[in-house]
Amino acid sequence: MKRSKGIVAAALVLSLAIGPACGVNQGFAQEEPCAVLNRECLACHGRDDAVKKFADGSVVKTYIDSQSFAKSVHASLSCHDCHQDFTVTSHPERSFRSRLQYRTVESRRCRQCHPDDVIGARSIHETLLRKEKSGEAIICTNCHSAHMMSRVGAGSAAKSETKHCLACHSREKVKKFVNGETVSTFVTPGDILNSPHKDIGCTDCHSDFSSARHPDNRYGSEREYRHSSAGMCRRCHYDKYAMVAENIHNAMLSAGRLDAPTCVDCHGTHSISSLGNDRLSIVRKCAACHKEVYSAYSRSVHGGALFNGNNRDVAICTDCHTSHNMQAISSIDFHDDIPDRCSNCHSNPVIMGKYGLSTDVVKTYLSDFHGMTLSLYRKETWKHYGPPPAMAVCTDCHGTHDIARVSGSDIGQMKIKLMKRCASCHPGASENFPDAWLSHYRPSFGVAPMVFITEQFYRIMLPLTITGILFLVLLDIWRYFRSR
Amino acid sequence: MKSMEEKGGNQHIRRFGPYRIVEHLALIVIFLVLAMTGLPQKFYHLGISQSVIVILGGIDNLRLLHHLSAMLFIGLAAEHVIVNFVGVTFMDWEPSMLVTLKDAQDSFQNVRYYLGLTHEPAGCGRYTYKEKGIYWFVLIGSVQMIITGLVLWFPVAFTRYLPGIFVPLSKMVHTSEAMLIFMLVVTWHIYDSMLNPDVFPINKSIFTGYIGTRQMKRLHPMESATLREEGSADQVDRSIPV
Repeated sequence: MKRSKGIVAAALVLSLAIGPACGVNQGFAQEEPCAVLNRECLACHGRDDAVKKFADGSVVKTYIDSQSFAKSVHASLSCHDCHQDFTVTSHPERSFRSRLQYRTVESRRCRQCHPDDVIGARSIHETLLRKEKSGEAIICTNCHSAHMMSRVGAGSAAKSETKHCLACHSREKVKKFVNGETVSTFVTPGDILNSPHKDIGCTDCHSDFSSARHPDNRYGSEREYRHSSAGMCRRCHYDKYAMVAENIHNAMLSAGRLDAPTCVDCHGTHSISSLGNDRLSIVRKCAACHKEVYSAYSRSVHGGALFNGNNRDVAICTDCHTSHNMQAISSIDFHDDIPDRCSNCHSNPVIMGKYGLSTDVVKTYLSDFHGMTLSLYRKETWKHYGPPPAMAVCTDCHGTHDIARVSGSDIGQMKIKLMKRCASCHPGASENFPDAWLSHYRPSFGVAPMVFITEQFYRIMLPLTITGILFLVLLDIWRYFRSR
Repeated sequence: MKSMEEKGGNQHIRRFGPYRIVEHLALIVIFLVLAMTGLPQKFYHLGISQSVIVILGGIDNLRLLHHLSAMLFIGLAAEHVIVNFVGVTFMDWEPSMLVTLKDAQDSFQNVRYYLGLTHEPAGCGRYTYKEKGIYWFVLIGSVQMIITGLVLWFPVAFTRYLPGIFVPLSKMVHTSEAMLIFMLVVTWHIYDSMLNPDVFPINKSIFTGYIGTRQMKRLHPMESATLREEGSADQVDRSIPV
């Protein structure tokens, strides 16, 4: 630590006599003797305007916060106990290349009282000691601080844990993987402090690490390491993990595709974010891998509104594919669920009202042949009969990522397109065939008047006929008994 | 007439021959299958419909069954129309199902009877105006059902010649007309031939081919009277094909 510049009046004898036993109250002074000595040092080191300069230009403040020191585990020691070259009468001038060299040299003093065989019992120290043999310096104060030293593993760990880890991880270092790839171990403290994880400590995620443990985990590659990190997230976000375990990305991973994304690929690592509100970011996350889909989507009515107007109502990737349990689009279940996904917005009068769109689209679909059949397929336990054939759903006519606006389109072009789509399931469909579908309209005088009039005719006839018959039956019975 | 036979001390009159009996039985079976496979499609959102659909092996199997029974129904309807047209036109069968002025008079008479203006109900012939009414209603309805059903079954083929709108129109007619016929049968026909105090618990004549003399007198007084005039048990009833 810092060197005292002041020449102190109090006797050298006193400090020598008290020595390391300073903590023991010997009863010949009103104040504790080491406190007296320390006060002499603090005459200069209590000022916060002095610095020590190193050869490389770096500086360190010589200020000591006496109150913090008094709370530290070393409160009972005098300055001299650690800074043995310094006494009230002796304050040698020393020079160091750098602050780092200074800290390294000073750290050796700690180990006079804390020998290697004692501190080596903790695996974190063991790792450090091993590294020291390969030439890396141990700097105790990186983790334990200098004048506010606390027992990292005992109680106060949580408070200083981040500091403890950042002592190394705030420096540019790399972790090497078996295949030669490297990843920076640098952590920007601000990343965590601005993230939803600001209140949790490093070891809450990196649970096999602690102030006492720093295992040297080995991974084949960076992707392997990133996938292993999903296990950290699982500890708290088990609900998401359970969904992810069944999604298509996880299926890819199981098939050996390490390029499949995992938690941190979308959410980030230390600068983690929930992505919840930033719809544009979500789309871009997916786009990182799904480039073609992204380009089709940007041309669609949904994508266009998102990118050009930052519209928050339009569907983005996760609205249809969900964010964690996305299914293979080739699965019949995914296909059959599409009307539900579309109806999340297109049946919602609040959203559709803003754009003057009809909320009848899903109802009219479900009440017609395809929708009705599909809804029955979904309820059948078709295990016994084999999977049902695919039924036309929203996307089969409207398209998927490149979905376009219907109103204002060229009707003739649309009909030709529609006929082609119809013909893919109904071979031989003529140009009249698409008209069999009322385009999501309910019959009215304006649209399909023949159907509307027929509907109204039966709507009146049916109850009228049945009521008439019931009336006749009652009349018949009444007359029968009356005339007996 | 009408061969008369002695059965358990009660005189029975032969009313229907085996052809009519078999035809009616076939109609019952086909009608029930069509209704059982058709109604769940109309009311597909109801739990009971979905149970029926699942029991019958899914919507596709249900539709297959509906189509198969529809083919039988078309066959039955064609047979009925052709046989009776030929019978009435060339074989001198009595056109007892044709609606006549007498039916209008009978219905008018019965309105008076119901209103208590007369104590005599209409005296009907072989078929009452009510029976004729439901017969023609169902027959014409069946033609409608067959045509619209075929459009729904083969929409691609029909829309080659017809505008596409005929498909939803056919659906509307098919589903509504089916409902009307079904309701008519379960209300009027079931009442008239089962719950009616005159015949309760059931008028078995369409199944056995025979009707009791007392019942004959009550239900078909005119025909009953004709029989008595003719008085011959050996005379072959021209309206009863062998």
